[in-house]
This record gives sequence, C-alpha cells and structure tokens, in this order.
Amino acid sequence: MLTQEEVERLHYGLLSHIQLQGDVEVQALRELSSKFTLRDVPAGHTLWDLNSDTGDLHFIFEGTFAEYLQRGTHSFILRFSRPGKFAFSEDLLLYSKRSDTYSKALSHSKVASLPSVHFQNALRQGGLGAKLMEVLINLSMTEYRNTTYEMLQTSGTNRIHAALEQFSDLLHLIPRRELADYIGISRASLFRSLKEIGHE
Amino acid sequence: MNSGEKVAMRKYFESLPVYSEFFDEAIDAIIVAMDSGISAEKGRVLIELGSTNKDFWFLKDGFLKEMYRSPYAKEDSLFNMIPPSSIFVNEDTLFSNQRPQHYFTAYTSVEILRLKEAEYMRLLQKYPVVINLLYLSGTAEIQKSRRERLNMLRMNKTPNRIEWVQQHRRELYHIMDRITLAQYIGVSRASLYRAFEKNKKYQF
Repeated sequence: MLTQEEVERLHYGLLSHIQLQGDVEVQALRELSSKFTLRDVPAGHTLWDLNSDTGDLHFIFEGTFAEYLQRGTHSFILRFSRPGKFAFSEDLLLYSKRSDTYSKALSHSKVASLPSVHFQNALRQGGLGAKLMEVLINLSMTEYRNTTYEMLQTSGTNRIHAALEQFSDLLHLIPRRELADYIGISRASLFRSLKEIGHE
Repeated sequence: MNSGEKVAMRKYFESLPVYSEFFDEAIDAIIVAMDSGISAEKGRVLIELGSTNKDFWFLKDGFLKEMYRSPYAKEDSLFNMIPPSSIFVNEDTLFSNQRPQHYFTAYTSVEILRLKEAEYMRLLQKYPVVINLLYLSGTAEIQKSRRERLNMLRMNKTPNRIEWVQQHRRELYHIMDRITLAQYIGVSRASLYRAFEKNKKYQF
C-alpha cells in the first residue's frame, strides 16, 4: 500500500499527464491513485518480462528503465522510461496479447504499479479510464516520434547528438554495444562518432 | 460525400481491430458529418491544416509526405509517408495544443476528406463509447505503425532496411523515388545507391 504522501505524489504525477474535467474525474483519479502499489526494483531486475501475462501500468518515481524488444535471439532497446513517466507493455496493456518486450531497471528504481485488473475496470467505466488510455497512446506516439527524429539522421554523430539531447546520461546508462544497437549504427561507427564528439 | 468516398471511409473503420457491427450507427453518423473530398495536386502543401487546426483528415487517394524541420539539416526533412486509407492530424495541436511541428505535402495528387473538430465533438457527445473506441483504435494503429518503422530504422545495414520496406510497406516501395526512399529509411543517397548497385533485387 502507498502512504498518503505517496498517493499525493502519484496523484500529482498523473495529473501532469491527464487533463481532468470536473470533480467526479478528480475524485476518480484520486481513487485510482490509491490502487497503485509501491515497490523498489533493484538494477537489473525486470518490471515485466516475455512470460508476463498481465499488463500492469507502472509510474516511475525514481530510476530509469529500458524496454527491450526481443527479435530472434537478440534483444535491443526500444525506449527508456524515466521518473515522472509511465512504463507499460503496449502488447499486454493495450492489445491484450503476449508481450514481445521486457523492461529492465538500469539503476535502482522506485515504481508505483497499478494492477491490470484495476486499469481494465477503469477503462470499462469510460471517462477517466478512456482518458488514461488516450494519454498512454499519445505518449507512446510522441516518444516514437522523437526517437524517429534521432534515427532519421544519416550521420552517426548526429544520431548520437539527437539521442543525447533527449537523454543526457545515456552514455553512462547502457553499455556501448547496446548504445550502438539503440541508435542503429555499427560499433565501429559508434566509437568513431564518440571520438569525434569527444566522448571517448 | 459521394458513394466512393463513403465506401472508402467505411472500409477504413471496418479495418480497425476494435470494429464490430455494433459500431455501424455511429460510423454512418461520422460519414454523414464528413466534408466532401478536397483535391490537391502533386507538390502542394496542405495549408488546410493550419496552426490551430484540430480536424481529422482521411487520405482517400494518393500519397502524402509528412515533413518536419530537422535541426541537423538545411532543408525540411521527410518524417513519414502517408499511404491511402489513412487518418492524419495535426498531432501537436490536437494532443498538446501546440503549434504543429509537421506539415503535409502531396507526393502524388491526393484526395482527402475531413471531419471537422466541431462535428467530432458533437458525435462524441452522442456516441461517447463508440467514438472513443474508434479514436483509440485509430491512434493505436498509427502508434503501432510508428513503432514498426522505428524498429526498421534501428537496423544497422542499409540492405536490411530496404528489404523491410519491400516486405512491409510494399505500396510505398513502389511509389517512392530513390531520394525519398533514402530519406524514409534514414540513410544517405550514396549508401542507398551502393546497396542498389550490389543487389539487383532491389530494383523498382
């Protein structure tokens, strides 16, 4: 269970993403906030994995997560989740199908999680649930749009610059091999580009 | 709207994963509320999507280029190609009340249909559940497509990216010239031409 202070923190965190109309929705959000549970996630542990069968909604208080997409035997980073942001498996939460991603803590993290059943109940009731769903889809669309900007840069150096603009601590969070995969360039090209911009 | 436009619109809604016959009444109401076709010749910027425009647009025929201003390029850059039977909007304006960072130009001659924001709001009042579901399903499809393309852009070999477009965006592959294809897959023209020279199967 969350303490009252944590519920308040979560409530205001959610409010920063959702535009509410009227007291009924404010109250509904407060009730929904109280259904989250708080947990610590040590670095290297997962929020969900490829075998998870329920799509919980997570709100990050502290720490950073990387969501990995599994392709064959290889997995690479699809996106990051930072404090004040949501983390969720789109497959599990939005499409009710098996997840082809897993999310791993890159640093010790603190997360508030809403069990899938409460999210689905809110969705069935419409109003706030529908708004929350809309927010999650829009946030994903915006994230993918921003990352697409990075990936459309034809030079490795520009890709790194664009990625660092979004996440200034990227170079310290993940190994170089994963960074090369994340920005879609070879490791040799990554090392050349990092040297060029004075990071190696 | 003429009968061809109505059929195209209905086909779009029926293609959404969320669709069931239960939605038909609301879909009919949407179709009645939509404006007739607007045509634009190849190369024209769609000025109809002005800085405060929150209407929903449906590309019935033709292809659109979605453009943006990249800080790393001297000219505006291609963000995406919009194929026929797609919904497109001023994302920044609609989602976050900001000036649009993207604009649309006709890559071929195009025909588009419009659902005005006021009509959307009226229909939302009348059919809140169905309109919400259609909206969510429509945006989820855009999001899915964006994620798929992003995964392609992460492939570190140009030939793999070209093959992805050949397999997963077949109609775009056949319509795009090589410069546009290079922009779409995020590689330089030189890199694209090298890949084409090495492998004859990429020929258009």
